[in-house]
Amino acid sequence: MGMFSESVDVACTPAGQPLELDWAGRRYTVCAEPVRWYERRQWWAEEQRAPLGSGPGLVDHEIWRVQVRPADSANTESPLTLDLTRHVGSGRWRLLRIHDALLPVRKPESA
Amino acid sequence: MSFTHLHVSTAFSAHYGVSWPEELAAAAAADGATALACTDRDGLYGTVKHLKACMAAGLDPVVGVDLAVFDDDGDLRTQVGGRVVVLAHGHNNGAGYRALCRLISDAHARTTGKAGGAVPVAVTRAELASRTLHPETLKPVLTVLVGPDSDVGRAMGGRRYLRPRTLFKRWLDTMPPGTIAAEVVSQLSPPGEPLSTAHAVRMLKLAAEHGVPAVLSNAVRYVAEDGAATADVLDSARTLKSLPELSAAPLLQPNGQGWLKSAALMLQLGKEIMHSAGYGAADLKSLMAQTEALADRCRVDPVTDMGWKQPVVPEASVIGIAGDALVELTQRCEAGISRRFPGIIGKPAEELRSRLDHELRIIDSLGFAAYFLTVAEVSRMILDMGVRAAARGSGASSLVNYLIDVSQVNPLQHDLIFERFLSRDRATLPDIDIDVESAERHNVYRKIFERFGSERVTLMSMQNGYRARGAVRDAGLALGMEEAEIGDIAKQLWRFSARNFREALEEKPELKEFAGRVGQRGFSENQQLDLLVDLTERLDRLPRHISMHPCGVILGDATLLDRTPVQPSGLGLPMSQFDKHDMDPMGMLKLDVLGVRMQSAMAFAVREVIRLHPSKAEVVAAGAHPVGPDGAGPDYIAENGLIDLNAVPLDDEPTYELIRSTHTLGCFQIESPGQRELIGKLAPREFNDLIIDISLFRPGPMKSDMVRPFLEHRHGFAPEAYPHPDLKPVLKETHGVTVFHEQILKTFDVMTGCGLARADEFRRALGHEVLEGKVEEFFRKESRARRFSPAVVDKVWGTLKAFGSFGFCKAHGAAFAVPTYQSAWLKTHHPEAFLAGLWEHDPGMYPKRLLVAEARRLGIPILPLDINRSHAEYRVERVDTGPDRGKLGIRLSLNGIYGLSGTELKRIVAGQPYDSLADLRARSRLSKPSIQRLAQLGAFDSLHRAAGGTANRADLVHHLQTLQSRPQRKGLDVIEGQLSLPLGDVELKNLKAGLPEPTLVDTVRAELDLMAVDVSDHLMASHRPLLDRLGVTTADKLLGLRNGTEVLVAGVRVATQTPPMRGGRRVVFISIDDGTGCVDSVFFHEAQELAGPLLFGTRLLLIRGTTRRTGPRGISISASMAWDLSCTGTLPFPVPASGIPEDREQDPPGPLDGISRNLAITGLGG
Repeated sequence: MGMFSESVDVACTPAGQPLELDWAGRRYTVCAEPVRWYERRQWWAEEQRAPLGSGPGLVDHEIWRVQVRPADSANTESPLTLDLTRHVGSGRWRLLRIHDALLPVRKPESA
Repeated sequence: MSFTHLHVSTAFSAHYGVSWPEELAAAAAADGATALACTDRDGLYGTVKHLKACMAAGLDPVVGVDLAVFDDDGDLRTQVGGRVVVLAHGHNNGAGYRALCRLISDAHARTTGKAGGAVPVAVTRAELASRTLHPETLKPVLTVLVGPDSDVGRAMGGRRYLRPRTLFKRWLDTMPPGTIAAEVVSQLSPPGEPLSTAHAVRMLKLAAEHGVPAVLSNAVRYVAEDGAATADVLDSARTLKSLPELSAAPLLQPNGQGWLKSAALMLQLGKEIMHSAGYGAADLKSLMAQTEALADRCRVDPVTDMGWKQPVVPEASVIGIAGDALVELTQRCEAGISRRFPGIIGKPAEELRSRLDHELRIIDSLGFAAYFLTVAEVSRMILDMGVRAAARGSGASSLVNYLIDVSQVNPLQHDLIFERFLSRDRATLPDIDIDVESAERHNVYRKIFERFGSERVTLMSMQNGYRARGAVRDAGLALGMEEAEIGDIAKQLWRFSARNFREALEEKPELKEFAGRVGQRGFSENQQLDLLVDLTERLDRLPRHISMHPCGVILGDATLLDRTPVQPSGLGLPMSQFDKHDMDPMGMLKLDVLGVRMQSAMAFAVREVIRLHPSKAEVVAAGAHPVGPDGAGPDYIAENGLIDLNAVPLDDEPTYELIRSTHTLGCFQIESPGQRELIGKLAPREFNDLIIDISLFRPGPMKSDMVRPFLEHRHGFAPEAYPHPDLKPVLKETHGVTVFHEQILKTFDVMTGCGLARADEFRRALGHEVLEGKVEEFFRKESRARRFSPAVVDKVWGTLKAFGSFGFCKAHGAAFAVPTYQSAWLKTHHPEAFLAGLWEHDPGMYPKRLLVAEARRLGIPILPLDINRSHAEYRVERVDTGPDRGKLGIRLSLNGIYGLSGTELKRIVAGQPYDSLADLRARSRLSKPSIQRLAQLGAFDSLHRAAGGTANRADLVHHLQTLQSRPQRKGLDVIEGQLSLPLGDVELKNLKAGLPEPTLVDTVRAELDLMAVDVSDHLMASHRPLLDRLGVTTADKLLGLRNGTEVLVAGVRVATQTPPMRGGRRVVFISIDDGTGCVDSVFFHEAQELAGPLLFGTRLLLIRGTTRRTGPRGISISASMAWDLSCTGTLPFPVPASGIPEDREQDPPGPLDGISRNLAITGLGG
């Protein structure tokens, strides 16, 4: 399993569930029902401030585990399992983890 | 659709919940909820606030508790299996609430009430089961929610299939049918972790398998996501582990989703759980419906279930009456008239009657007769114990209270208004506070429990919330900061709320250094300090724990423990989980029994007087009391010499003379520097003057410049002015200045005819942002209608508005003035006994050494420590030798010597007298350091003299020091039953003389070091030559100087105060004691700048300033500069005529040099 944190573009259903994503110049389609949870952050180490009224997103972040296939490939290619997170403030998505990390391995940032 | 949250912790779940009941109720109501639960951990700490919040938000309250349950398999006394939520069913005339109260009391019954006890707050499953059914109808009155934190929920992890089932079955087997539900919670934590959807599914399926209803909850700890970080910090404070440690364990909440989610989100959550379980819409519907069905069952009616606002007093039979309470009260008042007002006739009798009828009518209409009888009963019980007691507060406004002996103040004499205490418009139980001797307070509590029965009495508790210091400590702990570093920061925080930490950083000079660090450190440290500030602000005001309230005792009938859960207090007596704000809503009668040290000191003095002078004639002679025309002496002294302080007439001229002299150190309420100045200006001549004095000496009047005009009018410097002739009767006693609440009430009444009861409501509304406007409207309209001119109306309204909020209740002033007068009376007539009482009970604001100095100033011999004559308390003794022969002196007590333990003290006293050091060692088994310290303090000097040796105290101390290093010889013990030969003290007799006698300075230093008191001589005495060279004026000479004379004064600091002042500029008052008396100095802004760090940090001060005459007998110093007297090099020595400074020899060290142990020597701080 590789650990990444890079920006991805995600298209969602009206209920907020990921449908498609653009990553590394390629489009992927979500091919199985995603699983969602909230994961704790070490906010006391990662954040500079934690004032009252910071709102959501300080203590945890929302994780979506999705299985995707490249949109242009046939259904034969085995799916990738990705963990995505959506930043509460900006609403932007980042790719957090790749579980089947055989395909495009790119510069890993930090664990 | 609406959703009811059934599992919610409020901030009153100490170190767990984050949000206040009001926030939670408001959020639930805004989302369309119709009910909301409050299930605090371990108790009903937030329940009454929750009720109030729900009623305000239009919600039905649901009441429950989150409680630990012992593990049936484990050690039953200490092992907890898990936690469950227990909800009370409502609308059953309180059966559910009763069961809940009793269950919670069960959970606390085995704990010690002290922090860190081994027994957790928890119930056994059997106890829980036994409370769930109505004792008569056997219908369920409680529902137990078995949820994620129960033993069942905790066993959900991993792939264990059987364990949760076994545990769940146990619940089903133990609990009566219909008393259990499964609590399904998903906080959307990572799959497989606690509070994950997967666990929720398992609980749901378990419930379905066994046909147990399942309800959905979110186990709420905070009202919104923002609270999650605060919850993390609270977890850290509760477990005493830092966040990194907790995170690694892992013991933190899995994420931050435990908030009060909206109905829509809860439905969504339900959908996800159902989906994940493979269930359909019907199952979802059923889950939501079961949740609401349980909520409906648990909706509580505050009135019928919990007795909301229905006062309950002890049963008539318990207070010892058979018939109607009002009839009884009336009869007791009648009896009181003949006792308090013997032979009253004519107009005064008529006035008395009409006042009494008026009060009784109001008491009757409110149904409070039994309340008055109860208070009278407690009051009588205390007096029967021989303990001094006095009512304080507005209770003194009531004639009934005076007649039934609850209060010692005659309200007619002082023109006190009953409506300030109680009126038809105010149906809350009034407060009657009883002051008792502080040393007897706990005994009084125990006696009340005994007298009324432990089922009718419990102590009130108080909530202790985070303040700045505690908050910064716990925030620092959470961040894993060094303890020393947090300690440094915490020390700087003083007297501001944690919520304004960041603001304070910018403003307060004492935080400048820390603020600089926040700005300047490297990134990681800086981040930590920034977070520290944020987390500190988050903790602000959150409750930390409850403790025994310092004075509140709750009295009820036999159902009291059905209405409040109780838990052990540190004192061993049970304590209610409700605090003072909960009393009135819950209809609880609270009595404030305050321990007042001055009452103990006065009781001590009276006992010393009778011990020394065991007959009336001797007391009359010793105290110079009036013998009267028949020579029999006053009635307030009994034949055996016992003085009835409460019967002492309030017009004793020598007492007022003492008060006017401003030598009032030790007197209740009038000993502070500011009060001595005011007393000097006001020059009280009668009791009413004391009431006015005490009422004027409040922050409000001092700040708003009421005092100056009052004094000008009083002394006739300026003509009295009244806004309107009609108000003259109201304001006459204070020369036209509005001082008392009573005057505000009467002013309202005179100007608008509103009646005194409404006037008190108006007074309460003054200062209220909304209500005040309405009062003003009414006031202007009505007073104009009564033909008061617009100018008068404007002026009077201005006064009411300005003084209404902080004027003083005259009844309070009158109640305070009684012990003030009594203490001054004792100081006047029996100063030795009174000072001994003060030393013993230390009631005042000053270090004890100042009161010792006061004895010295009064010429009372201070008798040194003596191993055979000193006791465990201070004693007055007739001096039998020396220049003071025949005088009364005060013998020092063995109590309060540094390092001497309580048991050592007891053994010394039990073994007295001793004929030798060996005898002392053998029978008191004192530790060697203790013996040595006693020797240093001269406790063996008399033994030493009797032995006839030639050595001195220094030799003895030296001898004891060398002994210490030698191994102890065996075989010195006297065998039981065998008498040792009376050889005298061979050890002391044979002591080798060699060392020089300790100097007086050495002796005084030892006394200060070990007792914080300078006994042998005033500590300033040895500085006298230096002071003479400097040309210092002593306190006793100041009064002879002209106003505005420049002087130097010097002394040891006894008090430092920085009262709030008009205009907002800080003024520092420093009082020093030079051995001839106190000098009070005031430092205004400029002098503060010049004096700099000396202001707060120096013990011995030299001050230059000009005299300010404050009254016929009062004088103080307006300082211009100050020096540290111990830095002789810096002092302003006069330049001799020759122009060449003299060569000065080095001054020897003073008594304070080298002492760092005892802060109680000087009056720093404030």
